[in-house]
Amino acid sequence: MFILNPQSGVPIYRQILEQVRRMVASGQLPPGTALPSVRDLALRHTINPMTISRAYSMLETEGLLERNRGRPMTVASQSRNHTQLPKRLEQIGPLVEQTVVAARQLQLSETDLVKAVRREWEQNDE
Amino acid sequence: MNDTTVEASNLSKSFGDKQVLQDMSFGVSPGDVVGVLGKNGAGKTTLLELMLGFTAPSGGAVRLFGHESYSLPGDIKARVGFVPQQDELLDQLNVADQLRVIASFYPRWDTSLISRLCAEWGVDMNARIKSMSVGERQKLSILLAFGHKPELLILDEPVASLDPIARRQFLEQLLTISADGERSIVFSSHIVSDIERLANRIWILKEGRLDWQGDLDSLKESIVRLHIRSTAPELPAFKIPGVLNLRRDGGFATAVVRDWTPEAQEELESASVQIEVESLGLEEIFVELHR
Repeated sequence: MFILNPQSGVPIYRQILEQVRRMVASGQLPPGTALPSVRDLALRHTINPMTISRAYSMLETEGLLERNRGRPMTVASQSRNHTQLPKRLEQIGPLVEQTVVAARQLQLSETDLVKAVRREWEQNDE
Repeated sequence: MNDTTVEASNLSKSFGDKQVLQDMSFGVSPGDVVGVLGKNGAGKTTLLELMLGFTAPSGGAVRLFGHESYSLPGDIKARVGFVPQQDELLDQLNVADQLRVIASFYPRWDTSLISRLCAEWGVDMNARIKSMSVGERQKLSILLAFGHKPELLILDEPVASLDPIARRQFLEQLLTISADGERSIVFSSHIVSDIERLANRIWILKEGRLDWQGDLDSLKESIVRLHIRSTAPELPAFKIPGVLNLRRDGGFATAVVRDWTPEAQEELESASVQIEVESLGLEEIFVELHR
């Protein structure tokens, strides 16, 4: 379910946070979906279990996940509505910023960049 | 019942007039996996040996389960497992006999766990220890420390001679041990990528001192590389707290800092410079701390 890279400078708990937020916001993880247990994730990815529980707890505090006694955590029901557009845009903000910085360094025009994004968008859709 | 597994206060150690460890204070809680990093000669082995009570501290104290390490009662010793850098296997025995010898010391020895791991790790029960490769000996010496299900497992460079597949099997086993959240592991290794997977806490030793200790996650958030840019031809004056090293080049600068916070970022950005924050992997953090 997750793509986790322990060698990345981004702490693993943050990688989990961001991926769950994105997947819940987009409706890819609908309410009620069960998440893998801490133990399963730790063993499957060979990563420390505490960092996973930390991410799950933070997502619970945010109201994205619900803890269920004796059962796996699930996506909370309040997050049913796909999160509002502005919120979702906000989440992709940092990536857009990085892309724009890189484009300016490469002295690409706005049109060049938009074209490149459109091409990628279409290819990705296939 | 004691909350902390290990507790050290102002621990120091000298050999003759050579000070090896200075003024270390730290704790290990149940469920913690601590990765100990340091250059050769930074004092890692001495630290682990002090924790195990192999040698007495010159100052301060370290306690395991509430008992001073240097005078651990036998029943507390039985709750600790250790994998030394140099194995202490008996050359004249075969694997099965060596396992029997060690098992005889521990009433809680888990024979079925060890038989299963021997099969999974490809350790031949009938092999003569004398004729085993360094890697095979290392696997066996790890198994010897697992069998009595210690609540505290201390490992000194346990995987230096293991191939990547054997290392992964070993990591998976350590994770299985730690997943119940009740047992603690402290291990030193130069294989930073293993520590990055396994540890939730990091101790970085430098010249006999604990240069950094804390969560791996916070380490990665607080030590970062900044790329600082200004639209002006020269960078305006700015101050960054906790700079490890700074390179300026006209309107551009890079800096590695050790106490990075969102507040520090806001403050810097108000000095009319643009900042891009680059996160660093553990290996790079380690190198930067030693520049």
